[in-house]
Amino acid sequence: MSVILDCKSLTKKFGSTTALSDLSLSLERGRIIGLLGPNGSGKTTLIKIINGLLVPNEGSITIAGMEPGVESKKIISFLPERTYLPEWMKISDAISFFKDFYEDFEEKRAYDMLHRLNLDPAKRLKTLSKGTKEKVQLILVMSRRADLYCLDEPIGGVDPAARDYILNTIITNYDENATVILSTHLIADIENVLDEVIFIKEGRLVLHAPVDEIREKEGKSIDSLFREVFKC
Amino acid sequence: MLGKLIKHELNATGRIFLPLYIIILILSLVNRVLTTIKILDGPLNVLRGFTITAYTLSIIATLVVTFVIMILRFYKNLMSDEGYLMFTLPAKPSQLISAKLIVSSLWNIASIIVVACSLLVMLGTSKNMGILREFIDMALTGMKASFGSSYVLLIVEFIIMMIVSLIQQVMLIYVSIAIGHLFNGHKVIGSFVSYIAISTIIQILVTIILLIWARIAGSSLDDLEAIPQLVFPFSIIFSLICNILFYLGTNYIFKKKLNLE
Repeated sequence: MSVILDCKSLTKKFGSTTALSDLSLSLERGRIIGLLGPNGSGKTTLIKIINGLLVPNEGSITIAGMEPGVESKKIISFLPERTYLPEWMKISDAISFFKDFYEDFEEKRAYDMLHRLNLDPAKRLKTLSKGTKEKVQLILVMSRRADLYCLDEPIGGVDPAARDYILNTIITNYDENATVILSTHLIADIENVLDEVIFIKEGRLVLHAPVDEIREKEGKSIDSLFREVFKC
Repeated sequence: MLGKLIKHELNATGRIFLPLYIIILILSLVNRVLTTIKILDGPLNVLRGFTITAYTLSIIATLVVTFVIMILRFYKNLMSDEGYLMFTLPAKPSQLISAKLIVSSLWNIASIIVVACSLLVMLGTSKNMGILREFIDMALTGMKASFGSSYVLLIVEFIIMMIVSLIQQVMLIYVSIAIGHLFNGHKVIGSFVSYIAISTIIQILVTIILLIWARIAGSSLDDLEAIPQLVFPFSIIFSLICNILFYLGTNYIFKKKLNLE
């Protein structure tokens, strides 16, 4: 299996606080990986570095062999924890925007998913609730045929029913060559879909292992292991 | 990629500018028609006052909106949450800056042209046009008398100078916003402070250069010929250097120091 993401000794400091500290990590293609850690553990910092939104102070990172840049952005589909679509756009405008900028965007898939979730493409984003906006963003991001999906807190703001649909969307919408990184602290909800987990704590890698192995070795669920590792 | 970015930038801004331009042109037409209607010479004259006020306000609105949109678009689209969308597009930061700069400059020029056209529509009677033509002729004759054959050069340099300094205004705002972005938690204040600081530095630089120049060149600067040969070229080159520095500075911050909230 080839490597999709390779981080070597990544360190990122903001003034005197260290957000990531000497983090090395190698992820392979074809996995769904949970990036787990409490608030402020460095999950978002890592995801921002992968997406070229932050430059690390030390260490190196490659995505499919490339440093973050135009070429890496072509193959990464990123869902930030923010609502990042311009408010004045209609849903259909946002779809044309993605279609224009991303060669791997599949318009039909986006419209199918909108239809399934009963969302009207003619609606302006301004008129949608926060949860609905998040659904639209997720649809856009999952309608790309990317090599790496980075989803930062994709299920935080939506109701449990939509949560199931979204997780299902994620599982069914990526192909075997692609890897999905899911950052969240709602572990119980996503535990069943994960192949691997990464635990980070205070900017350091605590654990990176396949889920089956953890269950076998530790004899407990990821959720209870998480509660143990990050016990306050 | 730059083409696509420009297209989307035009889309996002055109929905504000085009209606404004249409309103201003319609109002100038209404005013033109009202001035010719004799019935309105009596008490109904108040209607004219009303439309002229509306027209004046729409001109001010156009100029203010052009300026405000230039700042807001750059800040909101690149430095706020929308930045997460824009900076993860497969585009270079320099392309994001260029697209904003080109479109902003275009709207600035378009606003000036639209305001000029609306004035022509409103005031362009054959009598007024005659006066205007006379005035232009007079100015040209005056320039020919003072500058001889180099008056064409002077006009060309003047136009280039206008465009370059327009770009300088836009780039100064962009680089200030980018520098302000480095002030964590005080980004807006940081941008204001940067703007004032950079403007002051430029003023001081220009003054120093002029003083030194006057010392060296002495009375040769009194010669009118110095304007097309020295003063205008100097202003253009100075503005160009500022523009390049502002652009490189903004690009460096976007590439290396980006830190969206």
